[in-house]
Amino acid sequence: MRHVVLDRWSRGSSAVHRRDPRAKIVPLLLLLIALATANRAVPLFAFELVLVLAAGLWWARVPVLGALARAALVLPFAASFAAIAWLGGDPARGLSLALKSYVSALAVLFVVSTTPLPALLRGLEAMGAPRFLLEVTQFLYRYLFLVSEEAQRMADAAAARNASLRSWRGSGERFRASAGALAVLFERSYMRAANIHRAMLARGFEGRLPTLSPSRFNVADVVFAVLSSAIPLALRLEGVKKVL
Amino acid sequence: MHIPDGFLATPVWAAMDAIAVPAVAYTARRAQREFDEARVPLLGVLGAFVFAAQMINFPVGPGTTGHLVGGALLSFALGPAAASVVMTAILSIQALVFQDGGVLALGANTINMALLGVLAGYLPFALWGGGRFRRLAIFAGGALSVLVSALAALSELLVSGVRMPLPVLGLSLALFLVSAVIEGAITLAIMEALLRIQPGAARADREFARPGWSRVLAMVSLAALVLASVGVLLASAAPDGLERLGEQTGINSRVRTLLHTPLSNYRAAFMHSDVLGKAAAGLAGVGLVYCACLALGRMAARNRSL
Repeated sequence: MRHVVLDRWSRGSSAVHRRDPRAKIVPLLLLLIALATANRAVPLFAFELVLVLAAGLWWARVPVLGALARAALVLPFAASFAAIAWLGGDPARGLSLALKSYVSALAVLFVVSTTPLPALLRGLEAMGAPRFLLEVTQFLYRYLFLVSEEAQRMADAAAARNASLRSWRGSGERFRASAGALAVLFERSYMRAANIHRAMLARGFEGRLPTLSPSRFNVADVVFAVLSSAIPLALRLEGVKKVL
Repeated sequence: MHIPDGFLATPVWAAMDAIAVPAVAYTARRAQREFDEARVPLLGVLGAFVFAAQMINFPVGPGTTGHLVGGALLSFALGPAAASVVMTAILSIQALVFQDGGVLALGANTINMALLGVLAGYLPFALWGGGRFRRLAIFAGGALSVLVSALAALSELLVSGVRMPLPVLGLSLALFLVSAVIEGAITLAIMEALLRIQPGAARADREFARPGWSRVLAMVSLAALVLASVGVLLASAAPDGLERLGEQTGINSRVRTLLHTPLSNYRAAFMHSDVLGKAAAGLAGVGLVYCACLALGRMAARNRSL
C-alpha cells in the first residue's frame, strides 16, 4: 500500500525527525498561508519553495525524488482545472492553481514524512485540537491497514470467483453481492471494534491513550521553528518587493 | 470533491476554516457526550471501514464502477455527531497521508462532507427512517449527502473565481447527480444487507419515533440545506442573473429598499474591499442563520424536557 512508504519515511532518525511536531506544524501553516495568499510572481515563489523543501527532505534523509513524485498525486485534479483556466484564456491562473496545489502537497508531505502520525496528532492536541477527534483519528489510522487488507482479500476472492465488471449481464446480482460483502465487512469491523474495546478495558483503558514519551519543546525546536517559518515569509516578501 | 490547497480564494478558505473549527469542536463534544469515551475504538474502526469500503467496486455500467462515500451510512449507524467526527478524522487522514484535499482547505472539505454531507444524509432518515418510506429515506439520505457536499464544493470553487465554462459546469452537475444516485443505491443495498445480518444496526430503529418539534425542525433543516446548496451554486455560477432579470422586467426601477440593512446587495456596507465585504456579509449571514438555528434548537430542547 502507498501509505506504508510514508510511514517508513516518518520513522527516520534525522535532526528534522527529532524536532517537536509543533515546531513543524507552525511553519507548515505559515508556508501554506504565504503560498495561498500569493497573487503575483507565483511560479518563482513556488520554484524557490520546492528547492527549500527538497533541501529539507535531503537533510531529513527522505528520498527526494520519491517525495517529489508522491506530491504529484494532486496534479490530476489540479491539472484539469488548470487546463480549463488555460483554455479559457487565463494561462497564468491555470499555472498558479497547479503550482500552488503541488507545492502545498509537497510541504504537507515534508512534515508527514518526518513526523510519525501519532506524534503529529499529539502535536495538534498540544495546540488545542479536540482530543476526542484526535483519538478517533489515531484509532482510524491504526486499523486502516488491517481493515483495508481485509477488504482487499474480499475483492480478490470476488475476482477469483470471476466477478468481472466488464458487462451489464448480471450486474444487479453483482451489485447486491458487493453490498453484501460490504455489510459483512461492516459487521466484522464492528465486532473487531467490540473485541478491541474489551481487550483495552482489560488492560486498564479509561478513554485516554497514555503517552510513553511526553514531548518537550527545547531550544533546538525553537530555532528550527523560527528559521523554517522565516524562510517562506522572507521569500514571499522578497518576491513582493521585486514585483513592486 | 476533496478541494486541494491553492484553489480557494483566501476569504473563502479563511471563512470556512473559521466556521469549521468551532463546528468541529461542538460536534466532537456532542459525540463525546453521546458515546462513552472508552468506545473511541468503535468510531476509529468504523472510520477505517469507510476507507476500506472504497476498495470494493460496484458495477454501475459497462466497464464503469462506483464506490461508497459513506457519510450517510455512518450517520445511520452512529448518529450525526459521531458520524461527523469520524468523517472529519477520515478527511484529516486523507489530507495528511494521501495528499487528497488540502490542509488550509480542510475547513471547507470538513464543512462540505463531514458536516453538511452527514447532516443532509441523516435528515431524510431522521424524518422517515422509521416508517413505510424507510427504503426511500435511506436512498435519499445517501444521494443527498453526496449531492449537497458536491454542490457546496462547486459553489466554493466558483465563489473563489475558479473558471468553469457553462458546458463544464453542466457536465459536473450531471456527474454529481449520477454519483448521488449511485451513492443512494449503494447505501440502500448495504443497509438492507446489514439489517438482514444484524437487525437493529440502524440507529433510527432505536430513536426515531418522536413526533412534533424535532420532526418539523428536521424537515426545515433539510429543506434549508438543499435550497442553500442549490441557491449558493446558482448565485455563484450566475451572480448577475437576478439583477439582469430585474432590469429586463423593470422591477429594479420600482423596488424601494424598505430597510437599509448592512448586508444589502450581499456585501457588508462597512467594508470597502469588494472581496472582504462579500466574505464578511456571507459570514454575518451564516452567523445570523446559526444563531436562529441555535435559538430554535434551544427552544425545541426546552420544550422536550418539560
